[in-house]
Amino acid sequence: MAVFKLEDFSFTYAGETNPALHDISFSVTEGEFLLLCGLSGCGKTTLLRQLKPAIAPRGRRTGEILFNGQPLRLAPPRSQAAEIGYVMQSPEEQAVTDKVWHELAFGLENLGLESRAIRLRTAEMASFFGIQDWFERDVSSLSGGQKQLLNLAAVMAMQPKVLLLDEPTSQLDPIAAADFLAAVKKINVELGVAVMMVEQRLQEVFPLADRVAVMDRGAILIDAAPRNAGLKLMQTHHPMARALPSAMQIAGALGGDSPLPLTVREGRRWLRGFLRDGAPAREKPEQESKEEGEPAVLMKDCWFAYEKNGTDIIRDLSLRIPKQKLFCILGGNGTGKTTALRLMAGLQKPYRGKIRVSGKVAVLPQNPQTLFLKSTLAADLADMLGFAENRDAKVKEIAELTELTALLGRHPYDLSGGEQQRAALAKVLLTQPDLLLMDEPTKGLDAHFKIRFSEILRTLMRRGVSIVMVSHDIEFCAENADLCALFFNGNVAAQGRACPFFAGNSFYTTAANRISREWFAQAVTNGDVVEQCEKIQG
Amino acid sequence: MKTNDFAKLHPVILFTYFTAVILFSMFFMHPVFLAISFFCGFLWAVSLAPRETLRFTLKCILPLAVLMTVINPMINHAGLTVLLYVNDRPITLEACAYGAASAAMFSSVLLWFSCSNRIMTAEKFISLFGRAAPSFSLLLSMVMRFVPRFKAQTRAIAEAQDGLGRGVDSGSLPTRAKNGMKILSILTTWALENGVITADSMRARGYGLPGRGRFQIYRFDSRDKWMLTILSALIFAVLFGFIKGENSIRYFPFLSLPPFSPFSFFLYICYFLLCSYPMLFNAVCEVKYHGGF
Amino acid sequence: MRKNSGLRPGFSVLSVVLLLLAPAAAILYGVYGLDNRKYLLVSLVILACAILSFFLLFEQRKPPARDLVTLAVLCSIAVAGRAAFFMLPQFKPVAAVVILTGVCLGGQAGFLVGAVSALVSNFFFGQGPNTPFQMFAFGLVGLLAGLFFRHARRKPKKLFLCVYGTLSVFILYGGVVNGGTLLISGLPLTPVSYLTVCASGIPFDLTHAAATAFFLFVLSGPMMEKMERMKRKYGLMQRDDDSE
Repeated sequence: MAVFKLEDFSFTYAGETNPALHDISFSVTEGEFLLLCGLSGCGKTTLLRQLKPAIAPRGRRTGEILFNGQPLRLAPPRSQAAEIGYVMQSPEEQAVTDKVWHELAFGLENLGLESRAIRLRTAEMASFFGIQDWFERDVSSLSGGQKQLLNLAAVMAMQPKVLLLDEPTSQLDPIAAADFLAAVKKINVELGVAVMMVEQRLQEVFPLADRVAVMDRGAILIDAAPRNAGLKLMQTHHPMARALPSAMQIAGALGGDSPLPLTVREGRRWLRGFLRDGAPAREKPEQESKEEGEPAVLMKDCWFAYEKNGTDIIRDLSLRIPKQKLFCILGGNGTGKTTALRLMAGLQKPYRGKIRVSGKVAVLPQNPQTLFLKSTLAADLADMLGFAENRDAKVKEIAELTELTALLGRHPYDLSGGEQQRAALAKVLLTQPDLLLMDEPTKGLDAHFKIRFSEILRTLMRRGVSIVMVSHDIEFCAENADLCALFFNGNVAAQGRACPFFAGNSFYTTAANRISREWFAQAVTNGDVVEQCEKIQG
Repeated sequence: MKTNDFAKLHPVILFTYFTAVILFSMFFMHPVFLAISFFCGFLWAVSLAPRETLRFTLKCILPLAVLMTVINPMINHAGLTVLLYVNDRPITLEACAYGAASAAMFSSVLLWFSCSNRIMTAEKFISLFGRAAPSFSLLLSMVMRFVPRFKAQTRAIAEAQDGLGRGVDSGSLPTRAKNGMKILSILTTWALENGVITADSMRARGYGLPGRGRFQIYRFDSRDKWMLTILSALIFAVLFGFIKGENSIRYFPFLSLPPFSPFSFFLYICYFLLCSYPMLFNAVCEVKYHGGF
Repeated sequence: MRKNSGLRPGFSVLSVVLLLLAPAAAILYGVYGLDNRKYLLVSLVILACAILSFFLLFEQRKPPARDLVTLAVLCSIAVAGRAAFFMLPQFKPVAAVVILTGVCLGGQAGFLVGAVSALVSNFFFGQGPNTPFQMFAFGLVGLLAGLFFRHARRKPKKLFLCVYGTLSVFILYGGVVNGGTLLISGLPLTPVSYLTVCASGIPFDLTHAAATAFFLFVLSGPMMEKMERMKRKYGLMQRDDDSE
């Protein structure tokens, strides 16, 4: 039986004439894992919210949404609240109360359950998720990934029949995201709860999904099994194809009759089949060459700890960052990446060692919202310049560079995540830095925005700006970085030009490299693998 | 003290206890009662946090107590027993005694509050209102969630400003104040705008449905029942004595204490038991559950 | 909200009971009274009743999620905002936030934010005998701000806000809290001792008042704009506007 069934559903926001969603017909069946994807602004969140009336935006609706065979609008509020679980993007803002136990109990309190029943259900959920040790902790003491898991558990405590997830991992690092997705899959498989998930990380979610729906400009473009959906996206050259799992993209570009692979494991098998004849022996990665010239940043034997006699966060770090290059710092949490960035920015001073930075430094903070002050973007940008001459011209110029010209009249908080990121970048660039430091700039950006973002970075480098970014986004770094460094335990474990750097790592590398490393030593991006294969094929 | 079993009692008991003891300490100006309250409060505060209490006593309580003892006779000239004249104003024995009593009263109140701050956490306090005032208790719990988050965000904003080359802890006083305003303004926008997400998250989880309940993480067990009974008995005994005028004292125009009787002795015992209740309770628990001292 | 819930029978009965409690306690204590301590008890009872009746009023409204979040946000800004001025001790934005709440969202919200901010702030800095007086004083500052400025057709002038801020903090807040200190300390209740207590607090109260005026001068414009945006965009605290 279908949990949700939409029949010719259309929706227009209050005060607007063009429908945000039109003629949508599809269904979610019991126990199904449905992935909903599409470019930013295609209406996927709008659609997801329609399925949860308590938070559906105001506007005009036509068509019908059936929930368990009954019109959703007639379902009693209590069952809407309990049976439809909804988890949002931000781990921070979703948590309402100060204690973990209270957060778990919050929904059940709203349903008016007895204390005894609440105790049982929270205990059950905490044990299911393995978070019983946190039960009496403060929510603020949890990490981002733990908070999001708590948000999921708090929704699950209400025992929903269907779980709606709106980009739940976009604010998490890869390891926390994997944990979260594993928990969702566990819920889906072990509890039989239907899942409908909006997500950017197609690489990880595609293999989990039973079915994939792709949205485009308010309509459902594709609704098929993951392999078929991927195939259709690539055949139509849809921009979303750039976000598909690497294995799929490589196989799709090379063609062939065998079904598309989804995971690295399947990709490897597929590539073995493809290269059956003429598989070349693995060549050695090329040695890196020494960088010459005046560096943008020079760190020598730096040591740093936040507290006197505290643990050293940075240990004996020496780093040379060349000018006009994109230098990416990768590594797990707590390895000192962000701290190194703060040292370069001069926000902290090492207790031993030297740092030399040439030129003016500016930092793009991880959360762009820490910068917005005024009520329009134009005023906000102008505020950076004080009473400088030709202020408006400068604002215009920077808005053009960051592709924000059309949005200058908007309130910064009315922009989407990707637009906010660029607005923050514009603000930072108005200080005319020679060295731009960025902390996780691609967090939460979709594939399309990432491409635009990397174009902006290239333009900046051409204009003489050197860029250092801290990132968890291996794929982005492999595509765009000139140089990479892997941080571990407050020091650099490996560094070099992007291509040999990733080729030299075994685990900490791109999916394309993991698929193809047996055959190609230098293939790091999907494009590299396809190119190498085509070379062999002649 | 190895363990603090008293702190594990139900919040209702803790709240009743502290309210009673602090109010009694505030209102009973009888020297014996003052002495009992001060002695027990000090002892318990020391056993809870020796170093902090000693520092607090020396740096804060002692100067205040001295000040109050001195100031009282300076501005209060009532009383019949004149000790000496300063600027033609009489300094009386009664005023001096009253000043000393006030100092003792104020010191013990502060000591009891310092104990209460260690035992009566915000979480316990909030849970008290769970049933009677669910919205208010939720509001408090949300504020407790937001405050640390806002503090962290304030630091992030300050650092973001710093990263733009606009340091906040440098410059003249007006510049620093202006930078502070900027941070506060950015924080406010951020908090109000993102509050909408929190509100959505609440509604998505059924907030606003009729018949909201409240989960009590603290269970009122049989031990709590017994302890509350004992506590109430002690409180009523002391209150009874208060109505009988046993612990009242008159300072002006001349000192007059109520006559000493077996009943007053009984009251002193009760008040002592009340004030040393947490320490006695902990001692009993230490022997019973944790195998002696 | 003033209109709607003020007339609910449940609330009126409770508030009448509460407000009758105060004089009853006063009389009771007058009979058994001990020196001047009775004034402390009476004032504590009155304070408790006043604070409780506002909390009850709030409870009666069954605040919707957005109102509740906004109130929590404002209280938290009042408490955590201090961190923005880590480089300037004694600069506390509590009074300014409370006043602006009263102006934008009404007196009841002002009282609530004031009282809760004082309470929660003391959770972090330690509760003391002054807590109820501080709660009441900040509440009063917010309540009166609402009563004075809420009905103005236009936005209140910045100058008036600053004057109100200075006076309310210095006279209302300072007056109530110093009065509380006097009552607790056990000094004789004479004008001389009241002035002594006030004098000891003057440097603190003056800084507080000046800081509040400064906050209001700089922040009132942007803060009101932000709150207006919230009202417009998300329909915040709308019901009481509709009824007026």
